[in-house]
Amino acid sequence: MFDYLANPTRFMRLADWLLRPLALLATGLLAAGLYYGLLASPPDYQQGETVRIMYVHVPAAWLASLGYVALGLCGLFYVVWRHPLADVALRAMAPVGAMFAFLTLVTGAFWGKPMWGAWWVWDARLTSMLILFFFYLGVIALANGFDQPERGSRPAALLALVGMINVPIVKFSVDWWNTLHQPASLIRSGGVSIDPAMLTPLLLMLAGTHCYFAVIVILRMKSILAERRIMTMQLRRAATAMPPDGGTG
Amino acid sequence: MTGRAMSATVITPLGAQIRRDIALGWRGRGQALVMLGFFLIIITLFPLATGPDAAQLRPIAIPVIWIAAMLASLAGFTRIFADDVRCGWVDQVALSPLPLALYALAKAVVHWALTALPMLVATPLMGLMLYLEPAGMPALLLALALGTMALTLLGLIGAALTEGARGGNGLLAVLVLPLAVPVLIFGVLASTPADGGIVTPHLMLLGAVLLVLLALAPLVAAMALAEAEAETGA
Repeated sequence: MFDYLANPTRFMRLADWLLRPLALLATGLLAAGLYYGLLASPPDYQQGETVRIMYVHVPAAWLASLGYVALGLCGLFYVVWRHPLADVALRAMAPVGAMFAFLTLVTGAFWGKPMWGAWWVWDARLTSMLILFFFYLGVIALANGFDQPERGSRPAALLALVGMINVPIVKFSVDWWNTLHQPASLIRSGGVSIDPAMLTPLLLMLAGTHCYFAVIVILRMKSILAERRIMTMQLRRAATAMPPDGGTG
Repeated sequence: MTGRAMSATVITPLGAQIRRDIALGWRGRGQALVMLGFFLIIITLFPLATGPDAAQLRPIAIPVIWIAAMLASLAGFTRIFADDVRCGWVDQVALSPLPLALYALAKAVVHWALTALPMLVATPLMGLMLYLEPAGMPALLLALALGTMALTLLGLIGAALTEGARGGNGLLAVLVLPLAVPVLIFGVLASTPADGGIVTPHLMLLGAVLLVLLALAPLVAAMALAEAEAETGA
């Protein structure tokens, strides 16, 4: 019990120390990114003002993918070393990742309607993001699918691990199936293919959303740990409040 | 480990496990027939929804058969481990020399033979009813055989992970169906070979997915079952 608590306590101290600078950084970066993205950058010569959706869409898509990798790593740490914080992090991250996947799909739809003439097209990248969203939902459902909350930890960690192997195969198969989406323009051989005036807000938003992700995950981890502590205290109080013969009798 | 020791510690109990499951499955063969009926009914519903026109049905025949096979093979999965966990069989396996992973694999093999094999037998008939050309049947059957094996292994993972969970069938489907996308995509492509050859690149990719799952699924199922077993044992 004590070495179980020792680690989260140390984590809480580190998290408290990190939280404020990260939150300040996230606010500053997002404010600057939004300013440059919405006001101080030129509209695209083809896409017009709709290009500004990209400043939210691309960071959200990055974080949805990053969250999935982080989920798989948490699963690995939990399955192999039974690290209690890995389970807390997995539970904290899954809904955040799902939220970013959802945001990617919604902003993509907002962009797709004026650009492609349809809210949704069955394109490979859209479809794999949708499946990634379903995968997040599966992890959340499984982690909370048991009567005793902690019983869901190992199944959810195993599912995250399976997803780490299987989701790239899903991505590959969906790419095979159909592709219409524009290829990646930020990370590719031959350098960045985007105008500096648009690159600045995009990079600011990317950095800002990553900090935001870290802040939200730390807050959620803290609240999950606090929730568990409350539950332990309630159980202990219930045990001591029982009449003397009630415990054994 | 010598061959003889290997056979004494692993092969014999594995054979016993498979024989037991076949015997149990055969005794409850009504269950397998229900799965077959489910498969046939899903296929029957599509012409009723789209209209009986052959020109409309022929292009969707193979996708319809695949979706029906996916749903029908998933439907039988929720209870695959439940009885064994409740009656203590999994505890006994955990104590025996038979590794849990091989126990899970034995369950998958028997489950496939009892539920997917009847579907494969019924598929040519359903294909004809959806106006498929008989010449295309071998490719469809081969792809469907590999595909149902892969689905069975995915279902094995899902059943072991959800063992003891509240969600039941719906939860299992939410977990497994997103991961089954490659099986569906490569399976349907392999069922409709462009040049008439049976062994297409898509069939090989489907086989690759099957092999990955064959390595992965029994291990994951065993790890999840160990957790479920520890819970009921406590």
